[in-house]
Amino acid sequence: MAELKQTQQRQWGMVIDLDKCTGCQACVVACQSENNIPINEEAHYNQRRAIQWIRVERYWEGEFPDIKARFMPVLCQHCDNAPCEPVCPVYATYHNTEGLNVQVYNRCVGTRFCANNCPYHARFFNFWEPAWPNSLKNQLNPDVTVRSRGIMEKCTFCVQRIARVKRKAKNEGETVNDGDRALSPACVNACPTETLFFGDFKDPNSTVAKMKDKETHGGRGYHLLEEIGTDTNVVYLKKVDKHAEAKEEVHA
Amino acid sequence: MAGGGAGAAVLFQACGVPEHELFVESSNEIPEDLVSGLDNWYATICRQCSSTEGIVVRVMEGRAKKIEGNVDFPINEGAHSVRCDAGVQALYHPDRIAAPLVRVGERGSGRWEEISWTDAMERVALQLRNLSNANRAVMVTPPMRSYSGLVADRFMARFGGQYLRYEPLETTNVRRAVKQVFGQDRMPDFDLGNSSFVLSFGADFLNTWMSPVRYGRGYGRFRQGDRERGTMIHVDSRFSMTGANADEIVFIKPGQEGILALSIASVIIDEGLGNASAVSALTNGGRIDMSRFAPDRVASAVGVDAARIRDIAHQFAEHGTALAIGGGSAAAHTNGYFNMVAIYSLNYLVGSVGREGGVNFNPASPLKDIPTGASFSQWRQLVTRMRSREVGVLMVKGADPMYALPGSIGFREASFDVPFIFSFSNSLDDTTAMADLVLPEHNYLEDWDIVDPDPGPGYQSVGFQQPVVRPFFESRGQHLGTKGFADALMGIAGELELDLGLPSTFRELLQDGARTLFNLNRGSVRASDFRAFWNGALQRGGWWDTGARGGNRPTPPALPANVGQAPSFDGNGTFNLIPFASTSLMEGQTADLPWLQATPDPVSTATWRTWVEINIKVADDMDIREGDVVRITSGFGGPDVEPGEGVLALAYPHPGVPPDVVCVPLGQGRRGSGRYAKGRGGNIMSILSPGADRETGALAWASTRVRIEKTGDWVRLPKAENTNPDLATDEGQHIVKITPKDS
Repeated sequence: MAELKQTQQRQWGMVIDLDKCTGCQACVVACQSENNIPINEEAHYNQRRAIQWIRVERYWEGEFPDIKARFMPVLCQHCDNAPCEPVCPVYATYHNTEGLNVQVYNRCVGTRFCANNCPYHARFFNFWEPAWPNSLKNQLNPDVTVRSRGIMEKCTFCVQRIARVKRKAKNEGETVNDGDRALSPACVNACPTETLFFGDFKDPNSTVAKMKDKETHGGRGYHLLEEIGTDTNVVYLKKVDKHAEAKEEVHA
Repeated sequence: MAGGGAGAAVLFQACGVPEHELFVESSNEIPEDLVSGLDNWYATICRQCSSTEGIVVRVMEGRAKKIEGNVDFPINEGAHSVRCDAGVQALYHPDRIAAPLVRVGERGSGRWEEISWTDAMERVALQLRNLSNANRAVMVTPPMRSYSGLVADRFMARFGGQYLRYEPLETTNVRRAVKQVFGQDRMPDFDLGNSSFVLSFGADFLNTWMSPVRYGRGYGRFRQGDRERGTMIHVDSRFSMTGANADEIVFIKPGQEGILALSIASVIIDEGLGNASAVSALTNGGRIDMSRFAPDRVASAVGVDAARIRDIAHQFAEHGTALAIGGGSAAAHTNGYFNMVAIYSLNYLVGSVGREGGVNFNPASPLKDIPTGASFSQWRQLVTRMRSREVGVLMVKGADPMYALPGSIGFREASFDVPFIFSFSNSLDDTTAMADLVLPEHNYLEDWDIVDPDPGPGYQSVGFQQPVVRPFFESRGQHLGTKGFADALMGIAGELELDLGLPSTFRELLQDGARTLFNLNRGSVRASDFRAFWNGALQRGGWWDTGARGGNRPTPPALPANVGQAPSFDGNGTFNLIPFASTSLMEGQTADLPWLQATPDPVSTATWRTWVEINIKVADDMDIREGDVVRITSGFGGPDVEPGEGVLALAYPHPGVPPDVVCVPLGQGRRGSGRYAKGRGGNIMSILSPGADRETGALAWASTRVRIEKTGDWVRLPKAENTNPDLATDEGQHIVKITPKDS
């Protein structure tokens, strides 16, 4: 993908500051609302088939009374070397020219190879036909396809918002501005603590590009499961804990 | 495909994909697939919970699609909570009541018939007119700091009945302490964003307490803003989400928070770390002996090491601007009021009152007629009145006392002695289900209002609520469908020929309010004529004036002589029960919404059920595993819950809960409220002891002791944790990375 990355105009990405995340779940429900994600019923949780394009993982550290909980939002990392892409037999999952890892629903035949190959568990399979009572369907976002049974789905960085902003900019002869809320994914706009930042890594003046530049050179920046070489477009900033000298990092 | 040569090389080439094929675009980019409909974003106010967030609602083809925060609005500055987002589900709830209902079966039997609004209003007016004495009418609403509240207030004042405001988890003690310590009628603003050090006691302020989105904005800046990273210590008797985000969590024996605060104060005073004039004022010129709270003398009672108390005191006094916040379970003991007085007084010792990064007072609202006083704790008197048939008509709006009052008070049972109950409601919640007549109200996205945020942002601000969509049940015609609460109440007043001294419609009343702001000619919206002002205020979602700030009280009053009381507990068990408001369901107000039922609790990640958090080692000793159905009993119950029956909950062995505490979320165990909430989980409020604060009479909802026993049943606890397998890390590699150094 290296050549592709050089030629592309944009590289959408996210910076997540773990030092600010409180675990409040606002991003989770905002995503659910924006992207027509089926209601996660009790049975879905119990069968481990709940769909959350973004989820907040909670890790325990230590024992009572010296106990800590750490929160981490996890979503599709939009890898440049995405393990999910080469395994799709029908090109339903592929990389677009703006650095997004996209899922084409009407190509998907539901082999679930991609989900098996995703190290971040960011892909979700529709084991059921999504169902809403009729009146709740009034809320569904007309910009987003409702995925039927047998289809894989995942975070799109709210590509419908990007498309809308780009189209508007084109029609009105303007440029797409960094930090435009209409461009930001629903999770980013919801976040009370400004944990999440979204933008174009290719634009050197964008907030995310500046943060990435500053934080990955001796700062707090790191990529999730960096060691497997997926080259992700989500940069995490380490949680700060001044008592952490002895135990530099934590496990699940 | 390259032809020619034989062997493996050809095969490999055949498997390759020409690079240009990868440039196929997603269907998302194909213009035919794009919805070209225009969307409109309307500014209004979220009324899902009591904190007042400004929101913008995306409307397409007359339907509300998405709720986001209003960037301009001073409380939340564009952010929002899980509750705000789910407003669209409240609007389009499949079990929403679409027309006035009259009971046809026995009370509570659930058999209803639709009637017209004209008929319904006449019935209400008839019942009110036939009362032998006007004071036999009682109205119950949540504390509404809004023009709807003004109409309710005025209606009850002119009619002559009793008006009670109901909060399930009372904030009376916090508010009374704020009045005592700061001399303020309104909650102050806590400037977390500019603070260097936060010491919080019990209040789950990043999750559910007071104004969590506002505090969340501040917390983000507190952690990674322009200033040095702040330090936060949280004192609690349970492991809350706010505690999880603190740098240190200090576990304390329940109800001892005030004594700990006094002990911190004694260290600051003793070592001369504090502001001298505040010390003198607080101790009444040294006449109040603080040495009885010295760390060594109180350490064992509060359950915190003396050295640690001294360390906290030093950190608090030596960190620049420090903030002390108290609330939640710390205020919900029989000594809750004193706990709050002690905690909030700490702010004076370090000079944090009325300065950047500290406690800032909120000025009075520019709209003087919005009712601010809220009266609670009269519930037992009300039950007595109901039992002795002194209440003839009970009117309820948006409150559900039959669900959330402790069962032992017997409110539900007493309601059978009230001849007529009517409820303004969207859904058949526990109280509405017991009504004789239901008047369905507009959802807040269909209705007007002017809201006074509490707590405010430290300066005058007013929220404008406007209908963003036409009423969903409009198609049912003018005789059926829903109506706004204030308009309906004004209609009833008309039937009764009661002069409210208000304009004839609610919208005109709001315009009168807006005109007051227009005439001030200051603040965020100014215009040359009223029409432009009105449109401007609606467009921006409100009006605020950053220059109109609250006053200051430079020195505190002396601590009350009897401060430092010990809490008392009631109940038949050995575990302290700490109920807590759920992240998404709060105290049950939003339990009917499926997104919120499915929202994981931040710490346990549990959903859809009632669980009980038990210390993991204690659970192990009791042979309790996750998902074991346990019975929680306190010896208290109500007419519907036999004391021995208790509440059933699924065990969640929790590594962060103190061994002598169990914690249960609120919100479930509803008798009604639609398909997503009905009959789900247990209602822990039903077994609370009716203990009350000695000073204020507020419900001491954290003062019950309970017994836990296994029933032998097991149900899988639905939780987000483990829905996905663990992320696979290599040896020596980690998922959440921690660094001791700020960058």
